[in-house]
Formats: sequence, C-alpha cells, structure tokens
Amino acid sequence: MLKEIKFALYAIKKNIQSSAELRTSFLMNVFGMMINNSAFIILWVYFIKSVGVIGGWNPADIVGLQGFLALAFGIIFSFGNGIRKLPEYVSSGGFDRFMLSPKNLLVRIATASFNASAIGDMAFGIICLVTYAFLIHVTFYQIIAILILLIFSTIIFLALSIIIFSTSFFFMDSNAVSSGLFELFLTPSLFHGGSFQGIMRFIFTFILPSLLVGTLPVETVKDMSILKLSAIGLFSFIWMFISIKIFNKAVKKYESSNFMTFGN
Amino acid sequence: MREIRLAKKIILTLVKDRIQYTGRLIADSLSIFARCGILLILYWYVFRLNNGLVNGVTYITVAWSMFFYFTFSVLNLRNISREIMKDVQSGSVETLLSKPVSYFWYKIWWQIGSGLYPFLVIIIVGAIAMFSIVGIPDTMTLGIFLPTLFLVFIGAMILSLILYSIVGFMAFWIEDINPIFWMVDKMVMILGGSYLPVALFPSFMYKIALYSPFGASQFITHTVYDSWKTNWYILLLIQLFWIIVLGIVAYVIFLKARKRISVNGG
Repeated sequence: MLKEIKFALYAIKKNIQSSAELRTSFLMNVFGMMINNSAFIILWVYFIKSVGVIGGWNPADIVGLQGFLALAFGIIFSFGNGIRKLPEYVSSGGFDRFMLSPKNLLVRIATASFNASAIGDMAFGIICLVTYAFLIHVTFYQIIAILILLIFSTIIFLALSIIIFSTSFFFMDSNAVSSGLFELFLTPSLFHGGSFQGIMRFIFTFILPSLLVGTLPVETVKDMSILKLSAIGLFSFIWMFISIKIFNKAVKKYESSNFMTFGN
Repeated sequence: MREIRLAKKIILTLVKDRIQYTGRLIADSLSIFARCGILLILYWYVFRLNNGLVNGVTYITVAWSMFFYFTFSVLNLRNISREIMKDVQSGSVETLLSKPVSYFWYKIWWQIGSGLYPFLVIIIVGAIAMFSIVGIPDTMTLGIFLPTLFLVFIGAMILSLILYSIVGFMAFWIEDINPIFWMVDKMVMILGGSYLPVALFPSFMYKIALYSPFGASQFITHTVYDSWKTNWYILLLIQLFWIIVLGIVAYVIFLKARKRISVNGG
C-alpha cells in the first residue's frame, strides 16, 4: 500500500514538472479555468436575485457549493486525469501497457495523465471555500466539518468517475457514452441545491449521487448535522467500494485492440 | 456551384457517419437531459413556488426559451475552435491549406455536418415532448414566429461559427486556445440565456446580452417572449451587424494567420 502511494506521488510530481515546463500555457490554463468557473456563481447568484431564496439557499451557499465541487473536481482531474482518459486508452489499445505494469492498475491509470487546468479548479475551489467561510461567519466546528466533508465529496467524485469511465469497457463508442453519463452526473451537482426537492432530491442523492458532492455538504455545514455528516461519510465509502468492484469486473471485459501504442 | 457541391458532400457524408454511431446520439441525448431536462424540472418547481409568474414571465415561455438554447447547443458549432487548434497543433493545417478548397469553409461545413443529425433528432423529439408536457406560449402561434425563427436560427449559426472561428484562429499565435475558448464560451452561456433565461436578467445584463455578439449568437432564445412580436427586426439587424463586423474580423485574422503558420507535425 505504502509502495503504491509512493509511486502515485512520484508520478504526480513528474506530471506536474512536465506540465509546468510550458509555463505560459500552464498559467493561462489555471487562470482561464478560474474565470471560467466564476460564470456559474454569477448565474446562480442572479438566479436567486430573480426568483428569491429557494430551499433556504442564499448566494453564500452557491459560493460554498462551487467550492466543494471545484475542489473535488480539481483534485481528481489534476492528479488523476488518467481516469477521464480511460475510454481513449481502451478504444486505442493503449490500455495494454497498464495491464503489463506491475503497479496497482487503478493507481497506474489515474496517474498516467495530468490536467493543468484542473489546478485552476482547485485554486478556485479553495478561494470559494475561504470566501464561503467568511460569508457564513464560520465557527471552529464548521471548519472541521468543511475539511471532513471535502474528503468525503472528493471520494464520492472519484468513485463516480471510476464507475462512469469504466463503462468504456462495455461499449463500442465508449468515449461518447461515458462523457454523456459523466455530464448526467456532473451537471446537477452544479445547479442551485435548494431547488432540488422531492423525487429529484431522492434520485440525485441515492441513485446518481450528484448532490453528495456539493449540495448536501453545504447543507450539512449550515445545519451542523452530525447525522448528515455521518451519512455522507458512509455513502462515500459505499460508493468507493462499489466503484472498485465495478472497475475490477469491467477490466475483465477488456479485449486488446492494439494499434502499436505500447510504451507511448 | 463547386462550393455548394462540396458543402453538400461534406454534410451528407457526416450525417451518414453519425447515423452509424448510436452511442453518440445516446450521449447527446443524455447531455441534453442532464442540462435542459433537469433544469426544466427545477424551474417548474421554482415557478410553482412563485405562483406561476417570475418577473412577469410564465413557466411555458421560460421553458421554451431554455429548450431552444440547449437544442441549439447540440449542433456543437463551438467545437470549430478546438478543431482548428487541433489542426494547428498537429501540423495537419499545412496539408489542409494547400488543398484547392477554402480551409475556412471546409471547417464550417464539417462542423455543421457533424452536429446536424443529433440536432434534428433531438429538436423533433424534444419539441414533441415539450408540446405535450409543457404546451406552447402564445407567441409561438403567431404567423411571424416560424419565418423569423428560421432567420434568427440561420443568423445564430453563422454568428456562432464566426465567433468561435476567431477563437480557433488564435491557435496560430498561442497554440493553446483553451483559456480564451472558456471565456468566450461562458460569455455566450451567461448572455445567451442558458441556466438563467434572458427574461430574468437584470436590466444592465439584458442590455449587454442584446448588444454584444455573445448574446446575439443566441437570439433564438428571445423568439418566445412577448417582446419578439415588436422587436424581432431590431434583433435580426443587431445579429446581421455582428455577422458583418465579425465576419470581416475573422477574414482578416485568417489571412494574417496563414502567414504565421508554423508546422509542428511530421
């Protein structure tokens, strides 16, 4: 286990070093992504101004929601961008080289690629969460809750990414299908959390857990509910467990379609 | 005549190609459901809380406005930026520029052709679903609605292609255009009336949406509002103005870009 972590950290370090070589492009990607993400805050803040407070959600909660989501997204797709490239590896036959590696398969795939713009997501997420903390006049216990919930939401995001991109082993045109499924998961998590009520809240909490990434963590911080926090924690481990099971099962479906990409 | 034949050939070939890939149609449908479908359900809840009226606009109007925005996005015209960037980064732009067809037009027809099939399927199925579930606003029953919708749709296509081509041509100077693409794309998303329909904009934002090329590229979302009855020709003129201005800008940039070409590919 320790060896795998060491390997993952080494691969991440090398990825960052290689990406930072093109400094201007790297910085433009980081700042560009931060500006890009601000659009969602502008939209939902004006939404609240137009339609009023819904489900007790105010503009500060929108900032918190974007913070949780951007940070989880940034962490997973900067250091583990290889997961998102899984359909590409499978369809091109590039997956062969991962199977031949003596390292843990999932860690090897995840750390095979690095996305500079996701660093922008991470920076944006941190800025949003700090702003959120100021806006809600955060207490010491709420800071602890934010940190714990951040771990849970990142685990859920990772788990769902693994599940969704593992579908690439089952479909021919896997890139399109997995990106459609990912969109279905990601988009509701960007929406104003207070307007998810009734059956919609149930679906996007228990069936496709988009709300577990940002909406429910924000509501948990507001209510300081230990029950909600424990439930999110429990769900994060359940989803992680399911995702690893699905990934291992999916890998067995792999049939090499090698285009001489070994070692690339 | 040769140009028209080429356009027809490219578009038909790509439509035939897309028909073969059902997975991509499923992906586009999932994407539309994720964005538009869920948003419509949320707005339905929001309007119910506000007794069916927000900013003097009904749910039916807002729903159709958003439906037009998201269906138009299925054409994926914005992808022309990244396609141009890919050509520049891979070096294949050199081969394409040396062919006896205009690179700019070739890219435009290619982009239209690759999004046309999912667009037609989704607009037909979606419009039937919207008509049966939500109903139609009064403005859609007017005689001028369909002809003006067609005109503004063509204008929106041309303007979007020009706007995103300009972004794509930046690749000749900076190679990685993604940061510029994100900014332009988000301006279009905000001012086009995606998650927040234009009728719910504060007045200053509405003015920006009206007079900027970003908002003008999505004027199809304005067609369902009451103001369309009286303002349609003004909006069409604004759209035409931006098409001419940005068309000239795109052409000049393209000419300059050709001179700057530096090939990386082998």
